[in-house]
Amino acid sequence: MNHDEPKRPRVLAIDDSDLVHRLLRARLRHERIDLHSVHNAGDGIRMARNLRPEVILLDIDLEDLDGFEVLARLKADPLTRDIAVIFVSASNETMDRVRGLDLGAVDFIGKPFDVGELKARVRSALRMQRLVRMLAQRAQLDGLTGLWNRAYLDDRLAAEVASSIRYRKPLSLILCDLDRFKSLNDAHGHPFGDEVLERAAAVLGAGRSPDVACRYGGEEFALIAPGTDLEETMLVAERHRARISEIDWPDRPEIRISASFGVADLGCVQGDPTPEKLIAAADRALYRAKESGRDRVVGSDRVDWPRIAG
Amino acid sequence: MEEIPRTNGSPPLHSIYENDPDLRDLVMQFVDELDGHVDLIRSACLAEDFSTLRRISHNLKGAAGGYGFDPIGDCAARLEYEMLEDEMDLSALSERIEDLVSTCRAAVRPSDS
Repeated sequence: MNHDEPKRPRVLAIDDSDLVHRLLRARLRHERIDLHSVHNAGDGIRMARNLRPEVILLDIDLEDLDGFEVLARLKADPLTRDIAVIFVSASNETMDRVRGLDLGAVDFIGKPFDVGELKARVRSALRMQRLVRMLAQRAQLDGLTGLWNRAYLDDRLAAEVASSIRYRKPLSLILCDLDRFKSLNDAHGHPFGDEVLERAAAVLGAGRSPDVACRYGGEEFALIAPGTDLEETMLVAERHRARISEIDWPDRPEIRISASFGVADLGCVQGDPTPEKLIAAADRALYRAKESGRDRVVGSDRVDWPRIAG
Repeated sequence: MEEIPRTNGSPPLHSIYENDPDLRDLVMQFVDELDGHVDLIRSACLAEDFSTLRRISHNLKGAAGGYGFDPIGDCAARLEYEMLEDEMDLSALSERIEDLVSTCRAAVRPSDS
């Protein structure tokens, strides 16, 4: 029997009532976790950064700061963003639950606690948290969209450039930026902004099988198209552009989103091809797409597009 | 052992967890501290200190059920709700406070039974 296993998951409870902390401690006594308790939002946010717990039990009705605000701050900080937060509240308002989940909480527990439910929800959050961390580390996936992330893009693009030089095959890169995303975010809120990113990412990820779709950062995406030259890749980009503009928003019929695309292949770069030069060429084309009115595909300098069509 | 009634109003109130080994000590502590809460409610009432009343009722609403005293949590919830009204009805308020106080007084310490 070893009670000092180093890897016990950490759970942080943020609640201003000592009555609740004692109860949590008693109810979770037999769980394989380290339970830490703080009594206000300020300490909670500090502790979350220092302790990096797997799960936070967060009371909505804190005296110094609204629990929703605490959650928003945790989600805005890269250090604490991926902690699974369970909201705890005596309020049974559906709106509170919806708001908490929209802000990124993974679950909700009502007070007074049902013991079985409390344990089950904490365990479930821990399970999910383990899987999320594993995926983020091992697969280099972007947490929100499920696409490959920037770190993976950098590795993969370097490998594809090297392979393309060695085997004398074409290689193209598409950079895609959602149009007016920030004002969309401001006007309709971050949960909707996240939904837009997810839906657009789903379009980009559902393309041809050799293509590698990545979240480049913020509202920008990158698509590596191995074995494909500029002309063909422009057509690929155009299909993605059309599909993104056709996304339906049943709850907000007034909304149309669009994206601008910049495309380059290795023939567009001068001197020895490098991933950086390819990205820079696609980025210049993307800039021109934005400048000339958005919602369009622009190819890098080598080819005059769309004269080829027709 | 003969039970000493703590109040004339409410029948003795037992925690549904009084035989739960994980909670027994905590329930005892909770009941012991109820006297302090009642005193605080009384003095806050006299001083018309509504923020203290709100805090106590809010805490009890969230916690009492967890200690096996749902009726205390319910009374606290009703008191908190009464204080949410824009125009507080003072007679209804004092009725809610009396309800909460007498329910707290009726709570039985596990070792007493």
